Formats: sequence, structure tokens, C-alpha cells
Amino acid sequence: MKPPQILLLLAALVSLAGCNRSEKSAVPGVAGQPTIALVVKTLNNPFFIEMQKGAEDAAKKLGANLIVQAAEREIDVERQMQIIENLIERKVSALCITPSGSREIVPVIVKANKANIPVLIVDTRADEKALAAAGGKIATFIGSDNYDGGKIAGAFMTEKLGGKGSVIVLEGIPGHETGDARLRGFRETIAKSPNIKIVASQPANWERDQGFNVFQNLLQANPDVNGLFACSDLMALGALEAIAAAGKTGKIVVVGFDAQPEAREAIKQGRMAATVAQFPARMGATAVEYAVRIVRGESVPAFTPVAIELVK
Amino acid sequence: MNEDTPPTVERGTGNLPVLASEQRGQVARATGSAFGGKNFLSHYARQFGTFAGLVGLCVVLWILTPHFLTVSNLLNVAQQTAINAIIAVGLTFVIISGGIDLSVGSIVALSGVVLASLLQRGLPYPVAILGGLGVGFGCGLVNGVLITFGRLPPFIATLGLMSVARGGALLYTDGRPISGFGPAFRWLAIGEVVFLPVPVVVMAIVYAIAHVVLRRTPFGRYAYAIGGNEEAALLSGVPVRFHKTMVYAVCGALSALAAVILTARLNSAQPIAGMNYELDAIAATVIGGTSLMGGQGSVIGTLIGALIMGVLRNGLNLVGVSSFTQQLVIGAVIIVAVLMDMAFKQPKR
Repeated sequence: MKPPQILLLLAALVSLAGCNRSEKSAVPGVAGQPTIALVVKTLNNPFFIEMQKGAEDAAKKLGANLIVQAAEREIDVERQMQIIENLIERKVSALCITPSGSREIVPVIVKANKANIPVLIVDTRADEKALAAAGGKIATFIGSDNYDGGKIAGAFMTEKLGGKGSVIVLEGIPGHETGDARLRGFRETIAKSPNIKIVASQPANWERDQGFNVFQNLLQANPDVNGLFACSDLMALGALEAIAAAGKTGKIVVVGFDAQPEAREAIKQGRMAATVAQFPARMGATAVEYAVRIVRGESVPAFTPVAIELVK
Repeated sequence: MNEDTPPTVERGTGNLPVLASEQRGQVARATGSAFGGKNFLSHYARQFGTFAGLVGLCVVLWILTPHFLTVSNLLNVAQQTAINAIIAVGLTFVIISGGIDLSVGSIVALSGVVLASLLQRGLPYPVAILGGLGVGFGCGLVNGVLITFGRLPPFIATLGLMSVARGGALLYTDGRPISGFGPAFRWLAIGEVVFLPVPVVVMAIVYAIAHVVLRRTPFGRYAYAIGGNEEAALLSGVPVRFHKTMVYAVCGALSALAAVILTARLNSAQPIAGMNYELDAIAATVIGGTSLMGGQGSVIGTLIGALIMGVLRNGLNLVGVSSFTQQLVIGAVIIVAVLMDMAFKQPKR
């Protein structure tokens, strides 16, 4: 036996956990204040970082403790479930969740219900049928109507192409409510113009590098494409690089989604045509505000739409 | 030596005059850790070290948060650990035999979606589960055959299957999750036996069986012998190809078993499920003291390794540590644990 090594491990842990705690000790555990948890899909996407900021500002204003947690990867539904289970064990006052999977989130909502912790769903809906089948309940849904966002993008694309041309679509992760709704809205709008054809529609899983690779490949197969609709700005930004590599910057109408700062910049530079703006910071702030109201026993609306608009 | 030592290996380890002394040493170490003897004590001492690490971690968390040491939270951790722990036990067999399996995460996805589609076709759920396990076993068999008969390095063969199985899962489902199963099937995740969640019971049974198989049957001993020195094992009459193939097949089947629990837990099977699970399982195995060089290791160590990872993730959530710091801490623990393990091994060289 070599106790020094064990001590080393312990010391490392204590110091790591300890330093982090002292840094944030003002936030968790102030008596008499509700502790609100916000579990987003991932914290390496600017969209959710904006949401976190909005939530933090609201929590400060309202005097609530806020814990923000996320899985390492956006698609890791099981890890998100674990995080929420752990927060239920921590007995937080309310849970605000952006589900990584619309249906996969349902079992853990039921668990929160059993522990009498109110659940607020933000940005991505929980599947209503699955929720009803499992007997789960949510306090409210706060988010943008992604279907409308898709329609706005479709209308802009139609206008910009003058009613004819060929379009490529970069999809998010298949079976993901957010992406599916955007696609539905876009496709239905485009279908109204018989001279605009969607020549390819492929998933790039919300990722920037996949946006680059997938679009580069699709460009090989469809060199004459006039437009690109990407279900998120990250994928659009990846595709912009592929367009630049092919020497076609400005020749393809690129429409993204989310209005991230980098995308806004690309629009200013003329590399990108438009993006659909959502207001994640407002979503985060509203979620925390409602959570505090629910904890105080006040009522909140069952659905709060957060505005959506085109940035061009 | 005790009476459950199979005669083949006894004869084999005695008949190695042609081998260099270094090789003989390896076989002796491999068989020694399986059969007891001088290495027996140090073997347990090392496991005790990992166990002490787990206990120490729990103490730290107990000091940091009042929510950690409660019955419901400990059951919560055990339940969260089950999936990784079950995959890791299969991987422990593979790593002890001197190989590696990178395809376990993809096998989780493929067997999960096949299981889900069988359930949705209305098959009774034991039949559907057998179907899912069959897919996992089959994938493992393919790995094994590629490695033994195709002579591919395990890293390459399983890297290939990782992509093939993932692609298969995506094709099979058209990229969409399959969800919504009956209560009888979901019992596997949310049910309880006495007061223990079913996944914990399944994990306990798997580990009990795996421990006995590894220590008390030829299958387990051959895994050590092959990992310690494959050539020596072959010369001693161990049917190396067959046993290696079966080790991968068992690993595949255990990944499929983890998929059963995962599918029941989420009430959904996703073709993109299980990504990076191979890394978690390798981490648990290595923290548990199994050598990546093969020939050494134990399933109990792996269980402790998986629990350390589970407890750490749970504890960091409870304390409210930021997501980014969590990754840093988990990585640091893996490194420290392996450093400790190496420090314990050093004096023997």
C-alpha cells in the first residue's frame, strides 16, 4: 500500500472542487432563496451561452440561486438525463430544461414530477404525445415557433431567387423537434414555388465542420446550386468556408438560423444573405423569471412565444 | 495450486523451456494473477488502492454537499453507472486478452435500434431482447473473426466495425429515433427488485458472473494467458483463435445488454446513441487497474473504476461545478488513477 498516492488523489480533488466552490460560493446555497437549475443541451454552442447569460442576469435581479449545467455534447440525451437526475437529488426548487431529445426527455420529466419539482421547458419542445402517454407534466414552454422561422426563411429564399433555382438544405440531427419544425416550415414554403427545387437535403448534425464537409460534397454533385438553407448558423458558417474554397462566395444565397454574432458579421460582409434571429437570452431570462414565480406559487402562462425575426 | 486449476494450463506453464525467461515471466504473471500465488496479495492490494480512492472521493463529496450521502442518491449513482459498468466488463475481458474494442458504443446503437424495432413490431419483449443481444453478439463475432482469422490489429478491426455498426444503425432507422414501449419493457429501467433499481440488479448479476468466469473457468484463465503472452498460450495448447473470438463476441453481447437498459431508460432507441461510450468504458477499466498491455486486471477493479466515474459525475453536479470544470476534473482523475496504478506495479519489475 502506498498511502501518499491516495492522498495525492484526494488532495487534487479537494483542491479542484474546493477552488471552484469558493469562486462561486456566493451563488449556491444562500438560505431563503430559491435554487433554479437551467440544463441546456451543451455549453459549447453560442446559442446556449447567450441563454445562460440571460438566465444569470435574471437570477441576479430576482435574487435567485442559479445552477447551469450541460452535457459535453449536444446529442448526449443519456448524460443530460443523468444531470437532471442529480439535480433532482440536490432538491432544486425548479428545473428549466432545453431537451437534447424531445422524446428522450420524457422519462426524467416524470421523475421530476414525482419529486414535486416544477419543470419548465425552454427552446425545444418535449414531445407532447410521449409526455401525455407517460403521464408527465410541464409547467410551461418558453420558446420560438421554429416552424414559423422556417417559413420566414423559405419566403426570403423564394424572394431572393426570384422564384426559380435549385436549393440545398443542411439539416440538423434527424428526429430533433427543433430542426424538423424549421425544415417543415422551409419546405412547405418552397413547395409553393414550382420552379424552385430542393436538389439535396442532408444532415450535418448541427456541427460546423460537418456543415463544411457535407456542403462541399453536395457542391461537387450540384455545382449549379443557387441557394442554401442551413437549419443552424454553425452549419451555415461551415458551408460558407466550403463556398469560399470553391470560389463561389456571394454567388449562393445562404440562409442560416439562430443569428449568432459570427453569422451577423458574415451578413455584413456579404458572404451570407440572412439568418433567422431567435432570442436565447430572452428565453433564459423568461425561464428563470417564471421559475421564481412558480416557486412562489404564482401562475404563469402555459406557452410563451419568444419573437422570431429575419436578419438580412 | 487449488483444485479448480485446469490441467491444460498447469501442463502448459510447466512446458516452456524454449521460451526466453522474460516470456516465461509474463506467462507466470498472467497466470499468477488469475490463480493466486505470490502476486495474489499485491493484486488485492492494488484493488484496495482503487477502492480507497473511491471511498476517499465519497468522503470529499460528503463534506462538500449534504445531498451526496443519501440512500436515494447512492441508488441514483448506482443506476447511472450500470450502463457504463456493463459495457466496461466486456471490455475488461477484451483488454485482459491483450486487445481493445472501439466498437462498443456503435454496437449499443445498432442493437438498441434493432431491439426497439422488434418491440414496435409487437414481439414479446424477451424475444426482442434476445434479438438485440443476438445483434451485439454477432457484431462481436465479426470483430473476433477479423482479428483472429483476418489477422487485423484489434484497433483497426474494431475501428472499422465502429463505423459500420453506426452506419447500419442510421440506415436501419433512417436516422430517426424509435420510441415508446410498453410498461413491461420499461420495468427494466424504472422497476425495482425489493428496493434496488433493476439496472443495478442486472449490473450486480453481470459482475458476479463475470468475476466467477474470469477467475474460476478456463475461459477466464485463457484470456489472461492470451493477454500475457499469446505465443506461449498457443504453445501450451490454448485454442487461442476460438477464445479470442469468443471474448469479442461476449463483449458485443454485453454492449447489447447495456443497450437494453439504455433503451428502457430513455423509452427510446437512437441511432446516434452510445457515442464515446467506448472511451468511458476504457477509462473505467483502466482506472480499475486493468493493464492496456493485457494479461492483468479484474472485473472488481473495473466496477470500482466505473463507480469512481459515476460518483464523480454525480458529485460534481450536486456541488454545482461548472460543466467545463467537470471535464477537467474527470480527466485529471483518470490520469491520477493510472499514475497510482503504475506506482503500485513498479516495485515488481
